[in-house]
Amino acid sequence: MDGLCRTYRSRRGIARRRRNDVEALRGISFEVERGELFGLLGPNGAGKTTTIKILATLLLPSAGSARVLGFDPAREPGKVRPRIGHVFGGDRGLYDRLSALDNLRYFADLYRVPVREKRARIGELLELVGLAGRERERVETYSRGMRQRLHIARGLLHDPEILFLDEPTIGLDPVGAREVRETVATLRTQGKTILLTTHYMYEADELCQRIAVISEGELAAAGTPSELKARVRDRTIVEIETFGVEYDVLERLRAVEGVASVATETREQAVVVLVQSQRGSELVQRLLGELDGTKVGRVITREPTLEDAYVSLVQAS
Amino acid sequence: MIRAFLGGMRIHVIQFSRNPFDLSGVFLWPILYASIAYYLLRSKDDPRLMLAASLGAAVMLMWSLVVIGSSNALENQRWLGTLELLVAAPAPFAAAIASITVASGFVGAYGFVATLLWGRLLFHVPIAIDDPFAFVLAILCCVLAIGTLGLVMASTFVLYRAAFSLGIGLQYPVWIATGLLVPLSVLPAFVGKIGWLLGPYWGFRAIRQAALGGGPWPQMGMCLVVSAAYVVIGALCLRLFVRVARSTGSLKLT
Repeated sequence: MDGLCRTYRSRRGIARRRRNDVEALRGISFEVERGELFGLLGPNGAGKTTTIKILATLLLPSAGSARVLGFDPAREPGKVRPRIGHVFGGDRGLYDRLSALDNLRYFADLYRVPVREKRARIGELLELVGLAGRERERVETYSRGMRQRLHIARGLLHDPEILFLDEPTIGLDPVGAREVRETVATLRTQGKTILLTTHYMYEADELCQRIAVISEGELAAAGTPSELKARVRDRTIVEIETFGVEYDVLERLRAVEGVASVATETREQAVVVLVQSQRGSELVQRLLGELDGTKVGRVITREPTLEDAYVSLVQAS
Repeated sequence: MIRAFLGGMRIHVIQFSRNPFDLSGVFLWPILYASIAYYLLRSKDDPRLMLAASLGAAVMLMWSLVVIGSSNALENQRWLGTLELLVAAPAPFAAAIASITVASGFVGAYGFVATLLWGRLLFHVPIAIDDPFAFVLAILCCVLAIGTLGLVMASTFVLYRAAFSLGIGLQYPVWIATGLLVPLSVLPAFVGKIGWLLGPYWGFRAIRQAALGGGPWPQMGMCLVVSAAYVVIGALCLRLFVRVARSTGSLKLT
């Protein structure tokens, strides 16, 4: 991908129509090697799904260009489509009143799976995603995890060279998400090229060989998980558990000398303040001093993780 | 392409048959249309006129079932999130959409036959067909013409989110322009000219001629000509509108 841009245009008003432009991608460039499992990380609205849709021929870029196996998805969709599989997360994308088998049969027809191979291929994929024996049940009776695994089977029907996985574990319970991750890991060992979008750091850390972090439509960083972690290796993370924290208090924490970034995370009833600072700077007492008047629980100092690297990159961009 | 088309028809029929609301409508509407035709003209006491009215009502229902069925099915594809998958599939998108409109055409054919049978059963409207062979062929030609006109309409449904509302709105102009709702003789002359471009206009006349006497063959020929034109126009419109939808990013919107 080279300088990929995408602007969404909408109009408001009845008598006086006003145009509203939203820039979803602002010049994204990166490459994915054959056989690689590449992760695209970013917060909601960062442009992950837009990127995948452009590559999957469903959207046209406003500017820039992309190549998928040497073909332009904007101008040569007919050459790209047989070579890619597209799986998106969530409940949608299946015929609910049909059985899993009927869904797979129809998509096998749409993806031109040879008639002689269709039955065996569907059987193999049902085994792969762990739905063998349940294929005659209607999809509307499936759990979210089962639907997601059926999505993956659908995306693999025509044995694509590249698989686009758009947040495949979104909304799944931990067991369902782990099953999907295991399936993705199996596909990686089979040599598939996979572009995975997610906003779960541990998922990217566990599965991806390389990661690109995008934020507000721009590429914030790219590299292996180790390389991204190395960006914050010189830092220390202080986790301060609070029970509600004011915005101006967070601003005071950011102003403390030696503080690189401040973020918050909700964990059950608590709001955890995550402060990144330079390694060796003893800031805990000063930070607690700035939190005067805020109800504070546990305070932990720890090594940075990929998630901290991600937070740092997103906040810096 | 043929597999995608036949597979799509199968999927559409199964989806349709598993929706009790759709099924009850298909059962009740023929009774309603047969009743309207009968109560409008029962005072005339003319069996041939009664049959002509029943045929008109049956073609009206056929068109309604196609246009509403297609628009409902396409709106459903949006809600299910499968519209994007149909576009992204290697098989031609037109084959996937045509499977929906032609399957709706066969539901429409059932609606046609059921309206005539309910008219016979409930109101004793005679079904005295002058040329049964030509009558069956004329029905098939009408199904083809209506199904392919549905394909042209369906291309616009791809572009707009409110496909079902658009489908309901499209029933009436075709009823009027083909002379099904009121005789074309009481309408301005240009309405009849518009009717010539519509498959149901020729389909209805072919069916009526075959049932009541007269040569239905020229009308059947016109059905085939306009159907072929609809297939070409529908495929071109679908290609253009999918390009527009890819450009505006509206395929996913519900």
